[in-house]
Amino acid sequence: MDARKASKKRKAITRDVEEEAGVFSGDELSAEDLDGALSDNNNELSGSEEEDSDSEIELIDDFSDEDDEEDEDELDSDEIPSDTEPETPKLSKSTLTDHEPNFRVVKDANGNDRYLYDEINPDDNSDYSEADENANTIGDIPLTFYDQYPHIGYDINGKKIMRPAKGEALDALLDSIEVPKGWTGLTDPSTGKPLELSQEELELLKKVQMNESTVDGYNPYEPLVESFSSQLEIMPLSAAPEPKRRFVPSKHEAKRVMKIVKAIREGRILPYRPPEEREEKDETLINYDLWADEVPRADHVMHIPAPKLPPPGYEESYHPPPEYLPDKKERKEWEQTDPEDREKEFLPSDFGSLRRVPGYDNFVQEKFERCLDLYLAPRVRRSKLNIDPESLLPKLPSPEELKPFPTTCATVFRGHKGRVRSLNIDPTGIWLATGGDDGTVRVWEILTGRQLWSARLSDEDAVNVVRWRPGKDAVVLAAAAGDDLFLIVPPTIAAPEIEKASLDLLDAGWGYAASNPAPSGADALKKNNPPQWIRPSSELADAGVCAVIPLRYVAKSISWHRRGDYFVTVCSGASTPASVAISIHTVSKHLTQYPFRRRLKGGGPPQTAHFHPSKPILFVANQRSIRGYDLSRQLLVKIVQPGARWISSFDIHPTSSTASGGDNIIVGSYDRRLLWHDLDLSQRPYKTLRYHRKAIRAVKFHPGGRYPLFADASDDGSVQIFHGSVTGDMLSNASIVPLKVLKGHKITGELGVLDIDWHPREAWCVSAGADGTCRLWM
Amino acid sequence: MAKIKKKGTHGQAKNYITRTQAVRKLQISLPDFRRLCIFKGIYPREPRNKKKASKTSTPNTTFYYTKDIQYLLHEPLLAKFREQKALAKKIARSLGRGEVSDAARLEKNHAPKLTLDHVIKERYPTFIDALRDLDDALSLLFLFATLPSSDHVPHKTIALCQRLCHEFQHYLIMTNSLRKSFLSIKGIYYQATIQGQDIMWLVPYRFVQRVNGDVDYRIMATFVDFYTTLLGFVNFRLYSSIGLRYPPKFDTRSDENGAELAAFTLESRNATEGMKTIGSSKSKAIENSKTEVSKDVQAKVDKVIKSAGLDQTEDEPMADKNDEESTDAIDRFEPAAPEADTLPQPDMSGNEAGALFAPFTFYISREAPKAPLEFILRSFGCKRVGWDAVMGDGAFTHDETDPRITHQIVDRPQLPEGSLPAVPAVAEGSTPKVKPGTRIPGRTYVQPQWVWDCINEGKLLRADLYGPGTTLPPHLSPWVKASRGGYDPRASLAEQEAEGEAEIAEEEEEEEEEEEEEDADDSDEEMADESVSKKAAVAEDSEEESVDGGMDVAGTDDDESESDEEEEEEEFPGVDDEAASESEDDDEAARNQHQRELEAEAAGLPFSAGATEESTKKKSTKSKKLAAKKRQEDEELERQKMMMSRKKRKLLEKMMYSNKKTSDEAAKLRSKRRKLEKGDKAAKK
Repeated sequence: MDARKASKKRKAITRDVEEEAGVFSGDELSAEDLDGALSDNNNELSGSEEEDSDSEIELIDDFSDEDDEEDEDELDSDEIPSDTEPETPKLSKSTLTDHEPNFRVVKDANGNDRYLYDEINPDDNSDYSEADENANTIGDIPLTFYDQYPHIGYDINGKKIMRPAKGEALDALLDSIEVPKGWTGLTDPSTGKPLELSQEELELLKKVQMNESTVDGYNPYEPLVESFSSQLEIMPLSAAPEPKRRFVPSKHEAKRVMKIVKAIREGRILPYRPPEEREEKDETLINYDLWADEVPRADHVMHIPAPKLPPPGYEESYHPPPEYLPDKKERKEWEQTDPEDREKEFLPSDFGSLRRVPGYDNFVQEKFERCLDLYLAPRVRRSKLNIDPESLLPKLPSPEELKPFPTTCATVFRGHKGRVRSLNIDPTGIWLATGGDDGTVRVWEILTGRQLWSARLSDEDAVNVVRWRPGKDAVVLAAAAGDDLFLIVPPTIAAPEIEKASLDLLDAGWGYAASNPAPSGADALKKNNPPQWIRPSSELADAGVCAVIPLRYVAKSISWHRRGDYFVTVCSGASTPASVAISIHTVSKHLTQYPFRRRLKGGGPPQTAHFHPSKPILFVANQRSIRGYDLSRQLLVKIVQPGARWISSFDIHPTSSTASGGDNIIVGSYDRRLLWHDLDLSQRPYKTLRYHRKAIRAVKFHPGGRYPLFADASDDGSVQIFHGSVTGDMLSNASIVPLKVLKGHKITGELGVLDIDWHPREAWCVSAGADGTCRLWM
Repeated sequence: MAKIKKKGTHGQAKNYITRTQAVRKLQISLPDFRRLCIFKGIYPREPRNKKKASKTSTPNTTFYYTKDIQYLLHEPLLAKFREQKALAKKIARSLGRGEVSDAARLEKNHAPKLTLDHVIKERYPTFIDALRDLDDALSLLFLFATLPSSDHVPHKTIALCQRLCHEFQHYLIMTNSLRKSFLSIKGIYYQATIQGQDIMWLVPYRFVQRVNGDVDYRIMATFVDFYTTLLGFVNFRLYSSIGLRYPPKFDTRSDENGAELAAFTLESRNATEGMKTIGSSKSKAIENSKTEVSKDVQAKVDKVIKSAGLDQTEDEPMADKNDEESTDAIDRFEPAAPEADTLPQPDMSGNEAGALFAPFTFYISREAPKAPLEFILRSFGCKRVGWDAVMGDGAFTHDETDPRITHQIVDRPQLPEGSLPAVPAVAEGSTPKVKPGTRIPGRTYVQPQWVWDCINEGKLLRADLYGPGTTLPPHLSPWVKASRGGYDPRASLAEQEAEGEAEIAEEEEEEEEEEEEEDADDSDEEMADESVSKKAAVAEDSEEESVDGGMDVAGTDDDESESDEEEEEEEFPGVDDEAASESEDDDEAARNQHQRELEAEAAGLPFSAGATEESTKKKSTKSKKLAAKKRQEDEELERQKMMMSRKKRKLLEKMMYSNKKTSDEAAKLRSKRRKLEKGDKAAKK
């Protein structure tokens, strides 16, 4: 099939060519013309034909093929066959006449002629690799048999193989066609005209096709000119004769050799010098004193010498005392801990006698680690205090020397339901007043613990604070319950004349209040207007209440002036307006005043206030600071900053400023601190004692200055008693000695001891507990 | 306004430098830096504030002091290291080209030699400084002297270490400056005092050392390089200080025969002086060369001084000498009583040490370690030490039957006669063999520990306690000083117990026992009662016995404490509610007893728990008193703590913690000992 295709292609080309030829040569192509032309052409081309016969064979071959094709495609083109048919006799004639045999005639075995054809050599151009169906199948018969026929045999399909056209005919045909010079058959795409190439251009193309250099006149095969040759020249370059030294032994060398020989003879040069051992001696042997001229030099300040290894202890002995040997538990524990975590790197063991002692496994390891420590471990100088811890403890005077101070619980006052919020001992030291969550105020006899009097001030509100009026001339108790303040003269506890005096004291004010009539209704409604003192209800009046001050806000703190005419109350609730939080009440005039118009600076609402025991100074504490105001000059004179977060209470030393010493204040805070301030020293505390686990609720100096004691009450249920003596000497500071921790109150609802007070004469104190009891400590 | 300081140019950031920075600054490799640090004794520091010192956020960095590194820049060793590096490159190139001989030549002729002399002079400006730092050097060199040679540890190094160690030991022997020694489970500790400096080192027992994988011998070899140089110089100085020639003559042949110490021959620096040899067995008359030498030196010095015309100075040294002698005579602290504490005497002079074993002739049996014994015996004045021939040359005698021998050190168990193998027939001419286990009359047989205990005590101890086969008394470290609150095994238990401790311990034990007993017999009450009462009596007896020595002391203590208690109670009538609760408890106990009595009556049984109740009650009150006292003390402490600042309080608590740790440890040891003593007593009964 391949072959056939190929042949078809070829055929198409030929037809093309024919058509072209037709185009150029015109339609009027006659046999006669052809004949003549052919003959002409033949003559022209004959020379070239003879030059290479191979090409002719080719041609023949080609044409034979073409013939076959034509046979097949006779219907397609009847032109050529019709043209060629009349020619055939002529052609055959010509073939016969100028019989250029493509075979040799050889005698065969029978003496007959045998035609031996040259082997068809398919050229590179040939598409045919082997004989195909177009091969002549007539067998081994002389072609002469077909001389009279137009065909020369049959192909494999039984079709006639037509006798190929002879060269002359074709040549004649071709010659008849006039091909213009430089015809290529291509169309110049730029012009649309047939592309014509000049002779030079064709030459160039040919050279390019042949991979030749396109330069004109270049010859790739120029003859080699040898510049150097192996051939010996007859005449040498230098004609100098060979020097003598080339043939005479060197004297200089002889000299040198003799030198060596002499040296060898003398033994200066050894034929083999053994490797020297010098370095061994030099290196290790010390032969001089390094410290011959030693000059001591102080160590660098930053130098830290490596610590020496500690000497071995008893447990490292090969035969230690038996108590050093580990028991089973210790052994197991040692084995189970990681080697790095072990306290000792070995287990003490007893080998009994020296011969049983084995080698120590980790010896090299330990020495290696020591080496590592020496150069890798960072060194730090740590000062190790090798002192007795006892010496660190402050030398405190023994409590025995500081006696008396309360040590034991002597009396328990039971009666209150719920917490006891506040308590106070009266100036004579006989009665104890308490107020609690149950809204009652009670008065007890201190020594016996017997309740003398009680009154329910309020049904729902707790009694927040109770305070006796100072001074022995009258028995007046101020109590705050809910929004109201009550001034009470407890009936039948004191002597009748004193009771009378106290009633008179309280009654005197009514007249004063009446002479200064109450402000008008509009003014009364104004919030900032001070409240009017009113008479109690009959029920309360029966109970002993003499006057009621409706404060409108809950007062948490009451503090009397030392003369007993004034007392200050503080409403510490966060919702209380700042202007009415602190009020000063005058008993003799039944007058209430609000000294502060604005909120105190320095944090939070006011907590508590106290009058200075001797000067006209009012100390007011808010959450973080305590301020002292001179009431006569109306000036701020002192600011104390204890540094506590939330001050709960404070107290002023009773002998302050009297014994030429400065003011001393103790401050208790909810953040568990008890702070001692020496006001002349600094704003900051002189001593901070943090020794409660919970908030401190109340602090109190022993009144009167008879005993240098103070106490604090804390939510952890304990009361701590301190010795705090203030000397008159300005140079010496107050000495504070903790004396006793009194424990007894039970913690109820996170609260322990809520209030504390001292007996005015004895070293006794009473504490109010959240567990509903009060205790007298003596 | 002050000029803004640039960060990292002042303060800690400048004073400290990280290791990487240091290595970069010096332009050496890390191993070279390590060597340099080891040689120069440079170590990392811990800056006070690591964050300020470091310029990065990397937490684990090693800091060096910048000035240390600055000084290193001009170190000659650094140049040597660079030369070495260059040479290593050349050798590598030669080897790469296959020029082995070239490489060998380079290595041999061009290898830079490190000399550490200047480093030693720099690190130890005076000889005393060097002595002070000798501990680690000796420990490491003595270890290396016993190591087998290997790829990491060349034979040459080991030989050098051995030589240096033996030289040092010879110096100690000559001057009798060894003071103490201790047999631990790690090895043998020695302590010598040279020129007032205490030097302690550890020598391993002679076994093949086990080496774990993570030991880097290169590091140790660097240390050994440095230490050998150091010890060499120290030895030179020491030898020349006593007028001996350094290095001493070394007999290779006798060393090969295992002579060790005896392979060295010490000689005086003066050639005219006769050769003073020690250690060789042949020279029988070994005098106290040290004293002679020192005398010679002294005479010479005197002569020189005279010739120089320094007559006025002459008198002073004489006077000094007299003084010294007199002080020497006085210096001895005699224990007041035979059983009193014997203070360890660190100021034992060389003469005393030299006289300890001087009159004796020792023979070391085969099984005893020869090297340490020989060293110790010689350095404590013994001139004649013999040993079995198999243990090497250099013995005073190899003959066990030598009549001059006064002490023989044996370390073998006592075996019955029959189990010993028969002695083979003695060949003519060889030393007669002694049958193992037999005793030659006229000499003392001791175990090796005797020697150690003697030198630590500074006197000869009873040898019968250390006889062969006997259980030795415990071997105690001579360096442990009795500290307050610590446990001292020398003192008796009663001396160091806190008051009441023994009673409490006993009570606890008894309670345990009683509980057991009660569990055991509920049914037979009378029997139980009897046994309990008996036991109580026994317990009381044993209590008395257990505190046998210090009974009176303990008793007085108890009385005192009781009286104290009473006083205190008087002072605090009903101190607090806890005391009250105690009394309540007592009341309750009484009520309970009454109840039980009633019940017993109702059951018709005689109530006879009186004795036991009494005794237990007595004890319980005692312990209660103790507890009350303790509580009192605690309260006092709390009161005092209240007045301390927080910082001080923390410090105090830390100290109390550490003190408590030691005291706990001591209490543990005491309780162990108490148990052991009790067990012994029971065994005796």
